[in-house]
Parts: sequence; C-alpha cells; structure tokens
Amino acid sequence: MTLTRGSLAALVTLIIGAICLMLEPSFDWVVKWPAAWTLPITQWLGDGVGTVLQVLKPGTRLIAAGLQTVLDVAGAALAGMPWPLLLGGTTALGWYLGGLRLAALGFLGLGYVLISGYWIESMATLSLVLVSVPMAALAGLAIGILAYEVPRIKNGVQAVLDIMQTIPTFAYLTPLLVLFSFGPVVGLIASAIYAAPPMARNVLLGLERVDSDIREAAIMSGGKRWQQLFLVELPAATSQVMVGVNQCIMAALSMVIIAAVIGGFGDIGWEVLLTMRKAWFGPALIAGTVIVMFAVVMDRMSFALSQPRRSHSSRVLMVIGLLTLISAAVVALAYPDPSRISLLGGISDAMNSALTDVNVSYGASLDSVKNTAMFYGLLPMKIGLDNAVLPFTWGFEWTSSHTVWYFATVIGIGALLAWRGHVTGGLVAVIVAGMLETGIAELPWPFVLVGAAAIGWVPGGWKLARLPLIWLTVILLSGLWDKSLQSLYLSGAAILACGLLGGLLGLWGALSVNAWRVLQPICDMLQTIPLFVFLIPVIMFFQIGDFSAFLAICMYAIAPMIRYTRHGLTTTPDEMIEAAVSSGANTRQILTEVRIPYAVPSILLGLNQTILYAFAMLVIAALVGTTELGQLIYQSLTKNDVGLGLASGGAMLILALVADRLVQGFAEERRKALGL
Amino acid sequence: MSEAKSAAPAIAVEGLWQVFGSNARAVLNEVRVAGGMRETASKLIDKGLIPAVREASFEVASGELFVIMGLSGSGKSTLIRCISRLIDPTSGAVRIDGEDILTAKDARMIELRRHKLGMVFQHFGLFPHMTVSDNVGFPLKMQGAGKAERRKRALEVINLVGLEGREDAYPRELSGGQRQRVGIARSLAVNPDIWFLDEPFSALDPLIRRQLQDEFLNIQATLKKSIVFITHDIAEALKLADRIAIMRDGEIVQIGTPTQIVLNPVDDYVREFARDIPKGRHMTLGEVMEPMGEAALAGDWPELRTGMSLEDALTRCAASFEAVPVHDGDGKVVGMVRPENFVKALGGETS
Repeated sequence: MTLTRGSLAALVTLIIGAICLMLEPSFDWVVKWPAAWTLPITQWLGDGVGTVLQVLKPGTRLIAAGLQTVLDVAGAALAGMPWPLLLGGTTALGWYLGGLRLAALGFLGLGYVLISGYWIESMATLSLVLVSVPMAALAGLAIGILAYEVPRIKNGVQAVLDIMQTIPTFAYLTPLLVLFSFGPVVGLIASAIYAAPPMARNVLLGLERVDSDIREAAIMSGGKRWQQLFLVELPAATSQVMVGVNQCIMAALSMVIIAAVIGGFGDIGWEVLLTMRKAWFGPALIAGTVIVMFAVVMDRMSFALSQPRRSHSSRVLMVIGLLTLISAAVVALAYPDPSRISLLGGISDAMNSALTDVNVSYGASLDSVKNTAMFYGLLPMKIGLDNAVLPFTWGFEWTSSHTVWYFATVIGIGALLAWRGHVTGGLVAVIVAGMLETGIAELPWPFVLVGAAAIGWVPGGWKLARLPLIWLTVILLSGLWDKSLQSLYLSGAAILACGLLGGLLGLWGALSVNAWRVLQPICDMLQTIPLFVFLIPVIMFFQIGDFSAFLAICMYAIAPMIRYTRHGLTTTPDEMIEAAVSSGANTRQILTEVRIPYAVPSILLGLNQTILYAFAMLVIAALVGTTELGQLIYQSLTKNDVGLGLASGGAMLILALVADRLVQGFAEERRKALGL
Repeated sequence: MSEAKSAAPAIAVEGLWQVFGSNARAVLNEVRVAGGMRETASKLIDKGLIPAVREASFEVASGELFVIMGLSGSGKSTLIRCISRLIDPTSGAVRIDGEDILTAKDARMIELRRHKLGMVFQHFGLFPHMTVSDNVGFPLKMQGAGKAERRKRALEVINLVGLEGREDAYPRELSGGQRQRVGIARSLAVNPDIWFLDEPFSALDPLIRRQLQDEFLNIQATLKKSIVFITHDIAEALKLADRIAIMRDGEIVQIGTPTQIVLNPVDDYVREFARDIPKGRHMTLGEVMEPMGEAALAGDWPELRTGMSLEDALTRCAASFEAVPVHDGDGKVVGMVRPENFVKALGGETS
C-alpha cells in the first residue's frame, strides 16, 4: 500500500506523538522545556532596544512636543466650537457624499454623541483621529508610491507591512511610551503606525492595477514620470486609493480607542474602560455605543468616497449650512457647555440597575452556560481530559485505566477508518483524540514542532516545513513556550468555533437570500466596531476569565469566515452549474460536488482571516483576564518593560504568521489544483 | 543634412531583437551567430530566455500605411512597443526620420512623443477621470499648451473622428466604438508625423470595426501619416495596407504588398492565411495577363485596365455573353441566367 503525502505526514506526527506520550512519565523535559535551555532573549531585547530608544529619545521627545501642540490646537478647536457646527457640518458632508441616507446617518450619529453626555470625551478622541489619519494616509501614500516606483524593494516593503499589521498593537505601545513619554502623543503615533499599512497596500494595489494601455497612453502623450504618476496613474487608481483611506480611518479609530489603556487623555475609550472596571454597565454601554456611532459614521462616509458619486442638490447643502450657522449662534449664547446636555443620564442609571437585576435573576443560568462550556469544552482542550475530568464536574475521576480504554477505542475507530480507505482521516482522528486527552497547553514540544512542520510539508514541501520548525524553536529558546501554548489553546478554541459556526452560517447565507439579508449587516457591524467594544457585553454577562475572552474573540473573528464561505459558494461560474444541471445533478449534489469544492480556496482564505483576527483580538482579550501571551504583553505595558513586551509580542507574531503561512499554503495548493 | 534627412525613410528598423529574461543583452551578444537568426534564437531558448522579436528589419516610407500581421504571441505587440520605445529593445536600431531613437535620451524621447509620435491602443487606454476633450487635449497639456488652445484643437480632432457633441462625456458613458474614436482623436491631437496603431479595432464588433476601418482610410487619405498598424486579422491587413509584414514566433516571415502576399506566399504558414481570402478581389489584371506587343486584337471588347481587380474584369467579360435558359426537373424552361450573375453571386460585393 502506498501512502499519500497527507497520510505520510500524519503517520510521522502520530509516531512522534506516541513516543512523546511514552517518554513523558520518565522524562519531564518532553513536556516542559527546561529553563536551563532557554536564552535570555527577553533580556537582550530589553537591553538592546532600550539602548537604541535612549539614543533616539531626545529627538523623539522634541517631536512629541510638536505633535502635542498640534493635538492641543485640534482638541481645543473641536471642544471649543459650538456643537451645532460639527453636527451640521457632518450632516452636510453626509449629504454631499451620499444624499439623504448619509446625511441622516451623520445627523443621528452625532446627535446620539451629543445627548450621551460624552461630547467632550468624544472630541478628545476625534482630535486624535483627525491628526493621526492625515499622518498615516500621507505616510501610506508615500510608502505605496515608493514600493511601486522601486520594484526592487516591493517584496521587502510588503513583508514589513504584513508584520506591522500582525504584531499585537499593545506590543509597540511600550517602546513608544519610552520614546514619546506618557501622553496622548503615544496613542497618536501608535494609531498612525497601525493605520499606514492598509493605506500603503491599497495605493500599491491600485497603481499596479492601472490598465497597461492607460499607462502607455500617458507615456506616448509625452508626460514626464511625475506627470504620468500624478496626472494619470494615481487619478486612475482613485477608487482603490479611497478604499485605502477608508481602511486607514477605521484602523486609526480602532487604535486610538485601544491606546486609551495607557490612560490619561480623557477620551471616550478611557471612559469605557473606567466604567467597565467599576462594573457600571449602563454608562459603559452608552459610551461604547458612542464609539460604535463614530465608527459607523466614519466608515460609511469614507466608503462613499470609493464609490462613483452622484451629485446631490447644492441647495439642500446651503439650507443645512444656514441652519447650522443659526443654531450655532443660538447655542453658543444659550447652552455653552455640551457636556450638560446629557439626556441619557437617567436612562443610563435605569440600564445599570436593569442589568444588575438581569445578572442577579439570571445569574445562575448564565453561570451554568459558562460552566458547561468551560468544563466540557474549553478546559479539556486546555489541560486535557486526564486533568479536566474530575468527580465534581464530570462525576468521576480520570484514571490510567480510562486512558487505556480511551486510546483503545480511538485506535479502533482510526483503524476502521483506515480499513474503509480513509487512511489520512483515521490517522488524524487518532492524533486529534490524543491531543484532546493531553490538552493543548500541555502538548509535548517535539510533537508540536513535528506536527506543524508536517502540516506545512503536505502542501509546500520542505520549504514550508522548515518555517514552523525554525520559528517555533525561537519561541522555545525564548522561554515563552508555556504562554504560547496557552495562546494557541485560546485562539485555537475560538478559531475552531468560528470555523464551524461561521462555515455553517456562510453556507446558510449562500443558500438563502433572506438569510444573507440578515447576516450581511451583522457581519458589516462586527467588522466596523473597534475591537475594544466587544469586551463590554461579554464582561457584563460572564465576568472576567477564559470564557469571556473566548466569546469576545469569537464575536470579532467569525465575520470573515461567514463572508468568505458565502462568497466562495455563490461565485461558482454559471457554466459549471449549468453543466452540472444538464448532467442531472440535484441541488444537494450540485452543492457537494461542484460548489463546495470550487469554494475551498475562498473558504480557506476566510479561515486564514479568522486566524489573524483571532490573534489580533487575543491581546485585547487580555483585558478580561487571560493567562497567555496577551496578558504578558498587557503586563509589560503597565510595568513599562520593553523587552517583555517585544518578546511576547514577537512570539504572538510568530504564532500568527506560522498559522497564516500554513493555511495560505493549503489555499495556494487548492487554487493551483483548480487552475484558478 | 536636410537632404539626407528627407531621403531617409520615416521609420527604419534594423536587426531588432527583443529578448526577455535575466541578463538578456549579455547572453544575446554571447550566443549571437552572424546571419544565423534561427540558430541564435534556439540558443537563447535553450538558455531559458524568450526571444519575442527576432532580428526584425523593415522600412516604412513617408506616408505609407505599413501593417504588421500575426497571431497572438507572434511578437507583433512587442515589436510596436520597441519601435515606439515603450520597452527598450535588446539589440538593433530604430530610426525615425534618420534619428536613432534607441540611443535618444529620455528628455529627447519626451520631446519626440510630444510632437512627432501618436499611438492608439487596443483597449483604448482612455483616462477614466477625464472627459473626452480632456483626454484628447492631454498630449497638448504635456506640451504646455493653454486651456483655451487645448479645447480648440481637441474640438477639431473630435469633429474629425465624428464625435461632435460628446466632448464633455466621460469614457464610461461611451460605447466601445466611440471610445476608440476618442483614442484616435487623442493620438492625432498633436498632429504627429508617425502614427502607431496597436490592434485598434480588434476589441470592437464586426460592424463597428468595418465602419471605423473605412473612416480610418478616409482620415489617412487626407492626413498622409506614416503608419505602423498592428492586427491579427488578415482581411483587415489586406484591406488597409500599402505593405504587410507577416510575423510568426517573433520572426518576420514575409513583407510585401497585399497582392504579393496573396499571390506568392513564401511558405505554407502564409499560404494558410491567404487561403480563405477571395483572391479575385485582391489581385489585379496586370498581374495575370500575358504580355503582348502593340498589336491590336480585332473585335468589340469590354474595356479592361491593368489596375482592375479580377472580379471586376470577370464581371465585364461575362457581360458580353448571352443569357442561358434554366430548366426545371421536367425539362420546362423556368428562367434564365446571365454569366455575369454567377460572377456577382460568387464574388460577393462587387461594384
């Protein structure tokens, strides 16, 4: 019998796993990488980067002072201007960009901010966004153009952009704190760093997609290089560049909110964090909704920039302008202080007590939901059946005889599968069952290394097998292995849940137009809301801990899975479906035989996005009390420990990138096989 | 000096190579065999390089309409991009009015493009963010012409291509045929001497294509540009060309007038192209007649001239025959046919 590539990889992994299990009782180092074998990477990073930072510090402090001035001016202008000006201006902008729909959105969104009582805090956040977006957009534009003009550096630039977007956002807050000292400028710089890559990426993409005939026509018209670029190529790429602006604005807002954890700039993110810590969920919800309003208004308006525009009556624009000015004058005289227009104060208190009531009266059921998920799902995944099965939860104690019976059954099932022709399936079933018995956080490291390499070897050969081997070894040497496995468990559980549930929802959305009508706005919403806000509902109902973190990650990471699955399933070429119909296939057969196989690359891309989203959220989820790398990064921030922050951020980056490359490898292989 | 210039052909291409791949120039110099183009090309392929244009040489006279015909992948688009220097050829020379443009500095190329060269693209290459008149005026803007002047000249050429009234439309509001009219107008805006057209009509519907071909011939009849025209359609080549170059695998296999191509194809490849062409329409009487002295043949003959196409001549000859009766299955006479009816029916559209 000849083994396929997949079954060979699975067999090797299984053998290594089995050996590790046998060695485990007598050799401790199989599971726990000994401290003596680690290198003080954290220390080196801290010292090395620390020295560099000290050298840069005088210069950056000067920049910080300059930016602080700009920020002060913007903040004073926004907070000082009569609020009808901003409200009217946003409404007018909405009308100009998208007619009645966006005008209404702008008016209602800003109106909500006004009556929420958080106007002043909101203006602090808005001034950060207003200063950081132009910085990020210009930097992104410059980087995009540079990468386009100098093809030699293109690959390098793209790799750096990848890293900048994948490295956990908290990880570079610590070095920035050292450079720019405590204050809003750190949030500003961090959000500019975070928001520049999507802009650069879209500029590059847009320029590369300009039709070659258009490019050549500009040359043949006798344009100089700068004329070709600025008069023809960039304008021809406008709609893609505007997609970049949209993503840039959303990233900047998201990061400005996250940077609030540093505290001290009296902005809306800080308000949410504060009320959440005090368990004042009424105000937390209202402040969180302010963030959502900002996000939705900014997203929809900047998205309108990338769409072909219809002009809307300028008369209406003038009416809005006039009304704005009149009310601004009146308000400036009558109600100078917008923070006193807090119409939601009473509602907030009512909500607070209502939520407390809910938590009191349904506390038991909420707890039982949480405990069921923990005891029968998350805990076994984390520490394995052998440790998680206890008398007071499962009703009995896991003993070594259970282990023997468990493995005997599993091997039997695996053998049956293999005998029926599914050799790889049988082997994988045994491996997965073994992992469940051991627990992800307690997997032996040789097994993880060989397993990851084997997964890479299947689609990508030795080249893709080497990557996880080298990089995971770096984590081992750094001494962050335990925490990394915990991260792997938490994100793995969320990714598994998102993959299954998101895949099913995507399938549902593909089969039913009505279902998609419901799902699409939900997905849009989940992808618009800044990460931070996801924490409010989970912490409200389930307090802090792994389960809350798991839920928050799932909420954020499920959207791409739904979207890509549906997209893959609905874009099957008509000819293929017609060919299947004329071959006599029924609806179910068309789905399983044609549409799903054709959608696999797209579904894998969705999974890939879900993985990256999950890792991004992992760090934010640390705020609700986890025990993994994200927590280390968060702690490094409070302890001002540059080395720890960078090392654990780096470890998380490695995990995310390795997972990304492995899934991409499979997606690529499928695309090639389908000739796409 | 000025005499030497006027005697030079509008475009002269000599021994032009375009090889794609790393370090192409050095490898080409290394493996080049004098006079052995095919041998050189096969050595290049062995080394993993792609010789897209192989030692192309030809001249285009002033006012001549020179068509380069070949299937996709034959290197014709690469060739026109070498001549217009949108890409830099690996080796060889391209002279425009005697000036070698491959050694010309960038500034000089910009100068030439602003005043002397015009180009039309297969997918039009219109700037999506500009109106028709801004598109047409763009080369003038590059010259530094003022707004009013650009508008005036743009309207002139827009009228020339029959788009009057659409000058303030955007490309997305136009049909394919109209878009290519804009492309043609733009390429003529600076009144260039040399006109490059890269498959200008290939992306259009057959009816629109024929219409634009006819208008193109009308424009050329008045403007008398020196033209390099790329196509993959032999019928289009035969209809438009003064001379045709046929390309295969990067190699020019034959250059000749439409008649020469149809009558004397150099090999089976060219013969395949010419096979489906109604020869009677492209051959003239002069090419098939038997020479004779001054002696006059007696009789009342139809008037034939050497420049007539065979179809026309045959129609006239056939007209001098009597009509012939046509019977039905039972032998009853049901109609009659004149020999010229046959010729007309078989020849398609004769005048």
